[in-house]
Amino acid sequence: MVLRGLSLEADEGEIIGFIGADGAGKSSALNAIAGVIKFEGKISFGDLVYSNPKESQKLKPLLGYMPQGIGLVLYDTLSVREHLDFFADVRDLKKDAAFEEYEKRLLEMSGLSGFLNRRAGDLSGGMKQKLSLICTMLHRPALLILDEPTTGVDPLSRLELWEILKQNAKERGTVAIISTAYMREAQKMDRVLLFDDGEIIPTLGDDDASLEESFFQNARKKNKILPEIKISNAKRVANAGEIVMNAKGVTKKFGDFTACRAIDAQLKSGEILGLLGANGAGKTTFIKTLLGLLQIDEGELYLLDKKISDANDRKELKSKIGYVSQRFALYDDMSVRENMLFFASMHKIDAKRSLELIDKYSRELGFFDYLDDMPKDLPIGINQRFSLATAILHEPIILFLDEPTSGVDVIARAQFWKLLKELKEKMGMAILITTHYMSEAEFCDKIVLLKDGEKVADDSVLNLYKRFPNATSFEEIFLEFYK
Amino acid sequence: MSVFAKELLAFFRSYGLVLTLIYMFTVEVYVAGAGVQIDAKNVPVGVLDKSAGGISAKILSRLRAPEFARPLYCKSQKELSQKIYDKEIMVGLIFESDFEKNYYKKLNPQINVLVDSTAASQSFMAMAYLQNIIMDFNKIDFPVELKTHKLFNQNTDSKLFMSVSELLSVITLLTVIFSAIVFVKEKESGTWEIMLLTPVDAKTIILAKSLSQIVIIMFGVVMSVGLILFQSFDVPLNGSLFSFFLLTFFYVSTTAGIGLFIASVSKTVMQIAQLSIVTMMPIIFLSGAWTPIYAMHPALQFLSLFSPLRYYIEGSESVFFRGSEFVDLLPYFGGVLTLGVVLYAFGFRRIGRLF
Amino acid sequence: MRFRVVKAFFVKELLELIRTKIILMPYVMPIMIVILFGYGIKMQVVGARVLIIDNDHSKISALLTQKFQNSRYFNAALSNQSEAEALREMKKANLDAILIIPPSFEKNLLKNVKSELGIFVDASFPSRANTVETYVEGTVLSLASEMGAPKSVITLNNRNLFNEALRDEEMIVPGLLGLVLFVAPAILTALIIAKEKEKGTIFNFYSSSVTKLEFLIAKLSVAFTLHSLNVFILFALVVYLFDLPFRGNFFLYWLSSELYILVSLGMGLLISILVSTQILAVVLTLMLTMLPAFMYSGIIMPINSMSGEAYYIAHAYPVMYYNHIVYDAFLVGSGFESAKNVEYLLILALYALGFFLVGLLLLKKELKS
Repeated sequence: MVLRGLSLEADEGEIIGFIGADGAGKSSALNAIAGVIKFEGKISFGDLVYSNPKESQKLKPLLGYMPQGIGLVLYDTLSVREHLDFFADVRDLKKDAAFEEYEKRLLEMSGLSGFLNRRAGDLSGGMKQKLSLICTMLHRPALLILDEPTTGVDPLSRLELWEILKQNAKERGTVAIISTAYMREAQKMDRVLLFDDGEIIPTLGDDDASLEESFFQNARKKNKILPEIKISNAKRVANAGEIVMNAKGVTKKFGDFTACRAIDAQLKSGEILGLLGANGAGKTTFIKTLLGLLQIDEGELYLLDKKISDANDRKELKSKIGYVSQRFALYDDMSVRENMLFFASMHKIDAKRSLELIDKYSRELGFFDYLDDMPKDLPIGINQRFSLATAILHEPIILFLDEPTSGVDVIARAQFWKLLKELKEKMGMAILITTHYMSEAEFCDKIVLLKDGEKVADDSVLNLYKRFPNATSFEEIFLEFYK
Repeated sequence: MSVFAKELLAFFRSYGLVLTLIYMFTVEVYVAGAGVQIDAKNVPVGVLDKSAGGISAKILSRLRAPEFARPLYCKSQKELSQKIYDKEIMVGLIFESDFEKNYYKKLNPQINVLVDSTAASQSFMAMAYLQNIIMDFNKIDFPVELKTHKLFNQNTDSKLFMSVSELLSVITLLTVIFSAIVFVKEKESGTWEIMLLTPVDAKTIILAKSLSQIVIIMFGVVMSVGLILFQSFDVPLNGSLFSFFLLTFFYVSTTAGIGLFIASVSKTVMQIAQLSIVTMMPIIFLSGAWTPIYAMHPALQFLSLFSPLRYYIEGSESVFFRGSEFVDLLPYFGGVLTLGVVLYAFGFRRIGRLF
Repeated sequence: MRFRVVKAFFVKELLELIRTKIILMPYVMPIMIVILFGYGIKMQVVGARVLIIDNDHSKISALLTQKFQNSRYFNAALSNQSEAEALREMKKANLDAILIIPPSFEKNLLKNVKSELGIFVDASFPSRANTVETYVEGTVLSLASEMGAPKSVITLNNRNLFNEALRDEEMIVPGLLGLVLFVAPAILTALIIAKEKEKGTIFNFYSSSVTKLEFLIAKLSVAFTLHSLNVFILFALVVYLFDLPFRGNFFLYWLSSELYILVSLGMGLLISILVSTQILAVVLTLMLTMLPAFMYSGIIMPINSMSGEAYYIAHAYPVMYYNHIVYDAFLVGSGFESAKNVEYLLILALYALGFFLVGLLLLKKELKS
């Protein structure tokens, strides 16, 4: 059962928001309303009533839909202009003066007027989403359904996207149902529905504090609060304050495109360094060069005081580095326990010790009950924690985490950060973590902000607060860097 | 090693793949062997007999199953030709009205034969059968008896040949695909990166993964050989079974190397598809399975040295049919192994590297 | 059905194919296969390696040896090896046949006393073996006829229809068209649709008012147009490169080819509807088209010589019907006059329609839940 008992009413011009973690049921709800998936129940839009995709055909001309994921509805090799023409043709739109006028306005609002001949594949994440949005709006739909259109997009583009949506709602009375991963965006919507485990949970208020509290209350009611995370008998792997990673002027190009340009960064043990930026800013590329998965074009890299020039230099360091990749690359056809055993053996930990460690971490990190389940059957929060456990089995000094909190619900995220704090303080680990949630900056000790492949900020959290005394949140601080 | 065990586990958990394996190695081989015959069998024959005599009847009575189907009698040349055009008959025999006369008067009696030569090798063979029948009938006063021994495959039974050929094709196809998939799956789900970062040497990982697929395929081969070749078809084995398995092992390893190579240079599945076809076709084709190597253009003969299937086919045929000795097979082993080593080396460099 | 919608998809698809260079695939692959196999497969036995062991060393045995050495069918060598050694060579796959002339051969022949000629043939490759055997026996018997056989011998006067010169190319190449036009369109179609599903652009279809019919026709028409061009390209290739005659009705050839392409597209379509990743689409299509198209096409052996399951499978695959028409078009030339051709043409049309309808039915304008 993916979604249960959703009831919703909306008026003209209203913007409704769906908020919740991955797998909570937001996408399923949106898909059902859009008529692209089977469902039970009845939906009515104006005079139209439908209870399955076939019947929803009559709705389709009035519907604008954007699925989850950046640029998913775009064709990489087609230009902006060609996209607009394509959607106009597919929707059988009359190309009269009014239409041209409207199209021009959309292009201006999204800032794409100057990029008509650029191929979709060459656009940045934010631009792709903006293009996707205007293509979806081209036929002036009465019902707009957008699945996480702002996820992973830079804060400035996000603002612009909301501008477009608000304008549209005001002028045309479009009903918009939008899901988002950012609780802050609740403020931009008229109403918010919170999703958890396929159900709607009661909301306590409008601001994100009360929204978070709603989640916590709900979890407590269902006895779902996970146990206190604590690492016992932690072994100290390093003394705090030593420089474990030093990157100088790291540059990485893919053909003509420069993903990272001359980035300097330092990581110390006992410290959490947050690498922030929108999708496409270069975070993942940078981490991959640090790991050796990509070759550096220019610059120097030092890990644990050793200069890295080729794979040989890394040989001894492998057992001192841990890594959790985006979307937690795990083997779907093996259980949690089997996955952990496998990776433990790859790190040459013997079987007896592996089992001990697995037992310890699964209890302390709260996934003991799931040891024999398959990753794809588990909620993303559990997968997140066991991926982390897998990465620290061999007690590394440096831990690289690539967007481990993406799509995870608010409670799990809070606990995850608690865990990282334990690792940093009790074991002295050096942690480099990337995220597109600007608000998570406050859990870090230091921040490096990337924009379009370049470093635009590199400072401790405390200093940033001092520099921008008027900012009420990190989002606002970062907006400064984007303007 | 755990990598090896993991791969085996993953494979057996995937029902689709297991079914495919079983199907290809049993049903495919069986059907090919049972059905596809290269010998001419059941050749449809048409007859236009204007001689109305006993000799023609006697000759016709020798056209028997299984080589020939019951002759269809036609009333005119036109009808006979039409039947050939429509591919209802492959061979048409015409006895002219003076045939019987000529026979008794010893005046060079002739039978006109129309042959549909679009039917590849069958038309040759049908002609050959006819020739034999006629020669037999003629009882030439030539005091030489031709004692023909068909070695290694006494009945030139196609079953054996086709099933072995099909088995080899199945091995090639599945090995390349399975070994390519094993790597591409990791690449796609991102787990390959994690593997590269562990202290275990990339070479070991690659070998272990390939080995797992090799073992799976070998298992299929054993299944095929045991159930189909021996049980159902009674294929003779004049050589040593051990040599065959050893040779198979080397061949499968090399082919897995090809799969590795393809996986390492492909970025998308489309590319894998194209590359697989592009490499497998010439390999199968230059291998001598369909045309003997010495009959090919010299340029192609040279190229066939690079086809591992060539060595494998010659080697396998030698083992199954010719009963060759182990020593003779060494050049085959050598050929296959060299190719294998080169492919693996390339594969390592492409995807096993960190920077 | 809105033409504008279909055109939009068509143009987009075409642009994508051109810009990703995949547009070359429908042409490169078939041409390569036709050339490789056309030049490569030789069913005829030419240059069979025969070892002649002459234990007689007489004039007649020399005559016999010469006959073999002069024949283009053989690559004959005279040798002093023993029988055992020669057999070893054959085991090593170095020889196709061994001819052993017994001692006193000539003497016995002249005295009309029976003697035995031993012929050993490597039969691991049955078809070749039979042919080699026939040629060897034939060569020996031509010696016999030269030595004055009575005129009561019946001779066969054979006329090779449709392919007088018995050229391999004429036998194989038309069948290759059947192979190639079955595999290539299917793969292209399967990939086009699977790609959209994997990437997510299929939502542009799911969430819009585009109908199933419009979508299908749009997708198929791209592959169809591209491969229709192939019909002409392959035709030119086959006629000019391989010197194949064309005796039949071009219209029939063209029509059946187009229908056949549609059938192949239909197969690709069905596979892509049932499958969600590109990998599976490719593997499945290859498995279901390539091997069967080759084995059951009639190139290697005619369908009516097949027995059992193979016979039924061959009849179920459309390859057989198309190949019949193609062979007719190039070599036989009865065109529309042959009832069988027309019958097969209709069968192809039925297949095409059938696949398309099933595809239309199975295509769902929604996510698999």
